[in-house]
Amino acid sequence: MDHDGGEVVTPGELLGNSSLLAGLGAYADGRCVRASITGHRRLVPPPPGSTDQRSTVEVVGHKAHGAVPQPGSVVIARVTKVMARMASADIMCVDSKAVKEKFTGMIRQQDVRATEIDKVDMFQSYRPGDIVRALVLSLGDARAYYLSTAQNELGVVSAQSITGGTLVPISWTEMQCELTGQIEQRKVAKVE
Amino acid sequence: MEYVNPLTGFRVDGRRPNEMRQLKGEVGVVARADGSALFEMGNTRVIAAVYGPREVQNKGQQVNSKDALVRCEYRMADFSTGDRRRKPKGDRRSTEISLVIRQTMEASILTHLMPRSQIDIFVQVLQADGGTRAACINAATLALADAGIPMRDIVTSCSAGYLCSTPLLDLNYIEDSAGGPDVTVGFLTKMDKVTLLQMDAKLPMDTFETVMDLAIEGCKAIANYIREVLLENTRRLECQRG
Repeated sequence: MDHDGGEVVTPGELLGNSSLLAGLGAYADGRCVRASITGHRRLVPPPPGSTDQRSTVEVVGHKAHGAVPQPGSVVIARVTKVMARMASADIMCVDSKAVKEKFTGMIRQQDVRATEIDKVDMFQSYRPGDIVRALVLSLGDARAYYLSTAQNELGVVSAQSITGGTLVPISWTEMQCELTGQIEQRKVAKVE
Repeated sequence: MEYVNPLTGFRVDGRRPNEMRQLKGEVGVVARADGSALFEMGNTRVIAAVYGPREVQNKGQQVNSKDALVRCEYRMADFSTGDRRRKPKGDRRSTEISLVIRQTMEASILTHLMPRSQIDIFVQVLQADGGTRAACINAATLALADAGIPMRDIVTSCSAGYLCSTPLLDLNYIEDSAGGPDVTVGFLTKMDKVTLLQMDAKLPMDTFETVMDLAIEGCKAIANYIREVLLENTRRLECQRG
């Protein structure tokens, strides 16, 4: 990243007037754009083809914040509890970045798969300890993010059988134990 | 008692009436915290630590889920004053100062950018020599800036008083306990806005204005100093990175 280009600014410092757009680390205050964090000032030209021809000014700070799940991001989560109508999971990664603190997610019965959503059996789809790839639907309620696995690429990516062996996917609903050959039901993700 | 020498015009500690005590600021003093700072105004020495933005721990405290929750805890170390005395946690004075710091910082933090999260600010007075309120706000600002939390502006605070018919900037403990008026101002320098104004006495209107203007000048000087500290810190980090 190009850090050395811009001068160092501190919160509250004037970056420009309304001929610029406020990006990350900056904010618009009436007619002027000011910095909100300490860091290097950087100008980003408008993306080609956009109607707004104004450049964006942003401030690149030196503190890296942990990744936070946003609606639309793909997360990797570990299932912690499976109930009749939902399963809860702890989010571990957001878009290939590990999270610093604990975020809980919830997969509701209607979000497990795209078809026949009323016939979903949660216990035939997930087990505690499964690693799932899921899409963040929304910020959810006060306790958990709402997650969805209603796509071919989403679902269980890694799991262990009852005996403790690794499960190998054999179809989009079944996985087989390496050790015993026993077949278990899961909502399997299609991993490329 | 004479707080301003009538012959020389100097104060009890040898300062001029509009002179501030020596400032010293240092960031990154607490390794575990997301942001931290040590701030000194003469013999007043305060340490501040900021944790967050992180997930709200106690959901009951969350009033508005669209804004970040700001919490503040102010404490005076037992050894901070001349007489060593164990102070109970949550006495009236520290509860009030916690609230004042919280409100002042909340006014400058862009809380709407961090929904459903909380920011904890802990300030501890290591050495008290008057103006702890102001020093705590300055330390908290520095720590928040170190944590990279988006703020409208750098909010600084300074106190001013009126003793022996002279407006005095940045009162120390002796001047503070004289019982005269003590005006503490919190100020957003670049936006020219007052976010905190406290006074525990009566003062005629015209005198009050000169005293408040003096405190605002003090705030501006502190803001310049804090900016220097932040810029210096950024340069240092840049050198380390190479």
